[in-house]
Amino acid sequence: MFACIYGLTLSERGRDAAALLVDLAFTFSPLVEQTGMDTVVLDVEGQELLFGSPTSSDPSVLVKPEANWTNIANEITRRATQLGFKVNVSIAANPDIAIHAARSNKGIRVIPAGQELIELGSLPLKQLDYSLTGIEKDKAEEIYETLRLWGVRTFSEFAKLPIAGIAQRLGQEGVRLQKLAQGKSERQLNLFQPSAGFEQALELEHPVAELESLSFIFSRLLNQLCANLNSHALATNELRLYLKLEDKTEYGRTIFLPVPMRNPKTFLRLLLMDVESKPPQAAIISVKIKAEPVKPRESQTGLFIPLAPEPDKLELTLARLAKLVGPDNVGAVEVLDTHRPDAFRLTRFRLNPRTRKNAGKKSPVGSEATPALPVMGFRVFRPPWRAEVKTMDERPARINSCGLAYVIRGQIVCASGPWRTSGDWWLKDVWARDEWDVAVSSSGSQQGEVLCRIYRDLQSEEWFVAGVYD
Amino acid sequence: MTAVLAKTEIESALAHRFGPAFQRREKQPVKVLPTGVSEMDALMNGIPRGAITEIVGAVSSGRISLLLSALAVATGQEETCALVDCNDTFDLYSAKTARVDLERVLWVRCHNGLERAFKATDLLLQSGGFGLVVLNLADVAAKSARRIVSTWWFRFRRALENTPTALIVITPIACVRSCAAIVWAVNKETDAWFAAGASALKTDDAKLRINRDRGPATTHARHLSLVTESPNRQAESLLPHSRLFRGICVRVSQERPAAWTGGPVKFSTHVYI
Repeated sequence: MFACIYGLTLSERGRDAAALLVDLAFTFSPLVEQTGMDTVVLDVEGQELLFGSPTSSDPSVLVKPEANWTNIANEITRRATQLGFKVNVSIAANPDIAIHAARSNKGIRVIPAGQELIELGSLPLKQLDYSLTGIEKDKAEEIYETLRLWGVRTFSEFAKLPIAGIAQRLGQEGVRLQKLAQGKSERQLNLFQPSAGFEQALELEHPVAELESLSFIFSRLLNQLCANLNSHALATNELRLYLKLEDKTEYGRTIFLPVPMRNPKTFLRLLLMDVESKPPQAAIISVKIKAEPVKPRESQTGLFIPLAPEPDKLELTLARLAKLVGPDNVGAVEVLDTHRPDAFRLTRFRLNPRTRKNAGKKSPVGSEATPALPVMGFRVFRPPWRAEVKTMDERPARINSCGLAYVIRGQIVCASGPWRTSGDWWLKDVWARDEWDVAVSSSGSQQGEVLCRIYRDLQSEEWFVAGVYD
Repeated sequence: MTAVLAKTEIESALAHRFGPAFQRREKQPVKVLPTGVSEMDALMNGIPRGAITEIVGAVSSGRISLLLSALAVATGQEETCALVDCNDTFDLYSAKTARVDLERVLWVRCHNGLERAFKATDLLLQSGGFGLVVLNLADVAAKSARRIVSTWWFRFRRALENTPTALIVITPIACVRSCAAIVWAVNKETDAWFAAGASALKTDDAKLRINRDRGPATTHARHLSLVTESPNRQAESLLPHSRLFRGICVRVSQERPAAWTGGPVKFSTHVYI
């Protein structure tokens, strides 16, 4: 059985009233269709056990089923009245009949199965809602005009016409409309899906200016947000924070996560660290957190796959490192496609997927994974150390350069070069240099012989130490 | 004797409450991460996981070469690695030439902040899951290295215990002290330059070969040659600089063994009256 609630003058009250009507229907059944702004249909099968008349222990005393449905309709009306609605309620075996009955009759109407035409046969054809069968307006009006010319004016007159003739003259649309008038239309309820609450907001009674107080508010909202995500078997990879400030400005931050997560503690720490790094300029009066729902991460670890940091922990660690050394100093390095020396950029560090094939295996020395002979290591000085170089026969003979930790000073005992490199001549920061690899006998220090790379900048004619071999 | 009995009585009385506390822990076998240098791996197995390995040496002693080799092996095994660079001196091109998978290396640049470097290392170790963490203090002044408080090293050692993470610390002087499981002292013996070309001033090819063939002079020492075999190979590499500098030969001494194999240790007590 289906119940239809038709709200009188509800369409004038807007979307909030329509949402309240849907909420009212959900208090009776989880199977609810919002047919229109003022019409809601719900499946009330089994509700007689809750709202029906009490059954007697005497089997000779029979309770009419109509009495149970009337009780349900009365209960719906009572609750609607409490909410301030004036509604018509009808109950029928067919949802479309229930809709027509609720729209055409005031108060409560219960239509037993098989008596649809008796109860609604006198209704004019104009009240037949063609949209319930999915027929377009123009086609429906054309059919109504034809029926009017035939002298067919009510549901019962239309229902009594032979179906073969209807199909021949009005087509399939006519047949569907006739079944609708007969109360024999077959359709499933187009169930209303309540919007998932992946957005939580809170208006604060007093402006909040301290991060510690804000953490409690974040925690509450994030817990609710993650509970909603969990109930829908979803996670999020993007968190958006919107704050309304006392000076009537807005503050927004977005946190992108490398993998979908739904751990409120992780979210809380990330949000707090993010807000701490760039705090708002005024006290906060409203907080809204929005999560972008995505499917959760599917991963299966293996016995022979090397351990990797947990994505949640890694994200927190990266955020803490960024706070410690600055966001521009943490990440994975990417060598730029240029010949300019020491050209690179730091990108966001991400966990690379591990392949089971090579995981955990020892790389044989000399294979593709590792070179047979260790490569000579080099350390770059950023920025390069300025040096005083004395030349002899156009070759560096003596160097004096001072760094933070030690001094490179002494006779150059071995040198190879120069190797001239240049580039970016079409840009302002053109570079051109003559590079030398030198061995410096630093007799004055404890370093012994130092192997370093020096260069002469051809633009400024100055010498620099690029770095040391180590 | 009385003390032993008293200890046994106390242990038996408290055993039902604190049972595991009185049981002797079985020492787990040391898992290692290969260094990628065959001579080193043959002698010392590699870098122990769950412990601190200290590589000590002066400038141009070959410390970074060893490090790059270990990083190449670790990233080749698809381990996640982290490099805390105290003085921001990590060279990408030599790392790339050493076949380090840079996508698997988290680089933390500390810009001469010694304290920041230690805090960053601590965060990484506490986070867990890294196969190899490197703390590069190569350019820290010896005076500053001596002043590093021991609590940092104890903290790192505690954080590393029973984890698969290996921590390599590169220092100019030995400063990790008793917290290091292995201390490798690296010394440059000689450097090599190609004879071809008018610019070359010195060749030590013969000397290098003798050094390589000499084998382990002492139990815990190895001579390594970090020398390019042919000029063509150097030319193929990504390094855009010298074609004549070939590399160096180093001597690595293992100051502290990973595990004691000399049998049980006996202590004797003398009572002076």
